[in-house]
Amino acid sequence: MADRKEPKSKYTVDRKTPGAFEGETVTRRRAMVVAGQAAGGVAAAAFVLPALGFAMGPIFEKQDQPWQPVGKVDEFNDESYVPRTITLVEGIGDAGKSTVYIRKYNPDLDTEPRDEYNSYIAISTLCMHLGCPVRFTAAAQRFICPCHGGVYDIVGKVSGGPPVRPLDRFYTQLEKDAVLIGPRFSVNSELRRFSPRDPGEPLDGVGQYLYPSRPSMRKIQGT
Amino acid sequence: MAKIKLPAPPSNPLSSPKRPGKKYGPTGPLGHAEEAGLTAVGWIDERTSLSGGLRWAMFRKVPKGTNWFYTLGSATMFAFLSQAVTGVFLAMYYEPSATRAYESIRYINNEVFLGEFVHGMHRWGSSVMVILIFLHMGRTFFFGAYKYPRELNWVIGVALLVMTMTMSFSGYLLPFDQRSYWATIVGVNINGTGPLVGPYLSEFLRAGPYFGATTLSRFYAIHMLMVPGAIAALMGFHLYLVAKLGTTAPPWIKAKGPEELREDEVTVER
Amino acid sequence: MNKQEKEQYLRDYGTLKSQGKPFFPYAVAKDSAMAIVVMAVIIAMSIVLGAELGPKADPTSTTYTPRPEWYFFFLFELLKVIKPPALVPLATIGVPTICLILLFLLPFYDRGPERRPERRPIATTAGIFVVCAIGYLTYLGAAAGPPTEIDIPIPANVSSQGPEAVANFEAGSQVVAQSGCAACHRFGENGNSGPGPALTNIGARLPAQAIQRTLLNPSAPMPSFSALSEESPKQFAQMVGFLAALK
Repeated sequence: MADRKEPKSKYTVDRKTPGAFEGETVTRRRAMVVAGQAAGGVAAAAFVLPALGFAMGPIFEKQDQPWQPVGKVDEFNDESYVPRTITLVEGIGDAGKSTVYIRKYNPDLDTEPRDEYNSYIAISTLCMHLGCPVRFTAAAQRFICPCHGGVYDIVGKVSGGPPVRPLDRFYTQLEKDAVLIGPRFSVNSELRRFSPRDPGEPLDGVGQYLYPSRPSMRKIQGT
Repeated sequence: MAKIKLPAPPSNPLSSPKRPGKKYGPTGPLGHAEEAGLTAVGWIDERTSLSGGLRWAMFRKVPKGTNWFYTLGSATMFAFLSQAVTGVFLAMYYEPSATRAYESIRYINNEVFLGEFVHGMHRWGSSVMVILIFLHMGRTFFFGAYKYPRELNWVIGVALLVMTMTMSFSGYLLPFDQRSYWATIVGVNINGTGPLVGPYLSEFLRAGPYFGATTLSRFYAIHMLMVPGAIAALMGFHLYLVAKLGTTAPPWIKAKGPEELREDEVTVER
Repeated sequence: MNKQEKEQYLRDYGTLKSQGKPFFPYAVAKDSAMAIVVMAVIIAMSIVLGAELGPKADPTSTTYTPRPEWYFFFLFELLKVIKPPALVPLATIGVPTICLILLFLLPFYDRGPERRPERRPIATTAGIFVVCAIGYLTYLGAAAGPPTEIDIPIPANVSSQGPEAVANFEAGSQVVAQSGCAACHRFGENGNSGPGPALTNIGARLPAQAIQRTLLNPSAPMPSFSALSEESPKQFAQMVGFLAALK
């Protein structure tokens, strides 16, 4: 047996290096290992990193949310909601549209201070539990979600069921006698404005830090 | 210098000595066809030595007591193959765009020859595959087949289960009817409820803050390239480990002691 | 399993294997027969059930009730079982993630040498419990109708009062369904079981006057239906009549 073995290099004989051959030194072996791993790593990174960046890109891209008219001032009242269809994403037809419920600011109902963006209240129809479509039921004066029994009162605050925060809203503005709808924002249970979050992400307490806002959509600065 | 071992000269592993009393060479068209087939297989094997691996995989013994429960794994794989083939043919007509997806599926259903049939096979095949994978997992669990030495194969199997569920979820959106759209919205939002990374994950799935122009093509790429490739690779590894470690026997089957064995049943492996 | 148990297992397994039959063609024949069964089932389902395509995706809809594919029903129902808003991430991400980790690591915490299910009482009980839980949640998910529809058989005491009573009952059922009551209350097979109490046989528990009083002056979070009674007294009366007839 012994004579069939290759003669071990005297530099590596007591190191049990697999595949060692005569004259191989430790430093040469180590240099080749490091060079092989580094070159392979660079080559792999050269296709993995661009591909990842390509797939992740949209997360960090700011999306424009242009203001769009939804109707004349006299089409809306301050007691009940009027549904209107708006376009959230251009260029994909009906798949980019959504329904919002709009009414005039009503000092008896709305507790948040008046400013230039809330003379009309525009409420999103995505349930803040998991995003099912909610409907305003006039008889009950409630927004009701059919999925898991989420119920919201007339200003969009949660009055029952599992939703984690009030219904999202949209900024509104007046241009002459037309009502314009702008970007979406989220509100916590005191109706304070936050950058838009997805459904299921609470904003009270530590919620706003556990579910950070994303670069793709921000609320209007200073509101 | 070290001694070098030279390879033995190659031989056709399928050539066998002729039977006595038989005429030399092939006889008749059938004989010629058989000879041609054997030559071709032998040619490939001379260059690849695949026959050894094939023999190892096919003629290994399965233990005593192997019953119909042990067909669930291969049935799952078969359902996956059916999904892969029907999926490829559906992809010939399908357009992953938010404006055209629904119409292309309607075209498949109404105009294409056998369109609704192949679409239906793909759709219900997913249910069948999910049922089979759960039954296969249940068999493995209740028979204790995940224990030593097959722990790693259990882990791979669970990964395959997760990927199968990912396939179901990503495929559900593609017909782009009401059910698919809203189920996907809810599913993406469920991902978003994970703290810290959740919001970014759901944004990654949607390719933006809203369901947009590229969401559908993203789901399509996940559904027909990313996950199936990973499933095929892991399935291959799963099968290799099955062949290497052997399928388990039902746990209530006891091995006979050496003294109970007939002499011709004992072979000593060395 | 210690080293000795491992060796014991490998020895027993080796014996069993040596007494077995070759994979090809004995196991392959069974596998192929099973493959034919699988394909027959898939083809039969495709022919019988077809590939029905619903209406086109409409994000502007406010009346659609999303439902997942049946094998996700148990996850969907889990969200109904775990109700408090603070626990939503637990239901959506927490419980499934924990279950998945437990599933992945199963061979690493269950290391005993015993394989027979009847001699592994904990594992077998846990397995049967999980199967039953998933089966029960799937059944709940399959049985629950959307809360925008109420489908209740007409009670005998209503149908015996003639066609007018039946018409009133059905109109009341319509009003109740459209008012979204089933988002919080259960009506037989329809609606959510909570936050409100089940109304399947509310008429047996409360007289019509009490139902009317509750509808007008409810306790929070239930909304008052006084607006409906002023705008459309007829619809309100139908609503009360329907609820009082549920016995």
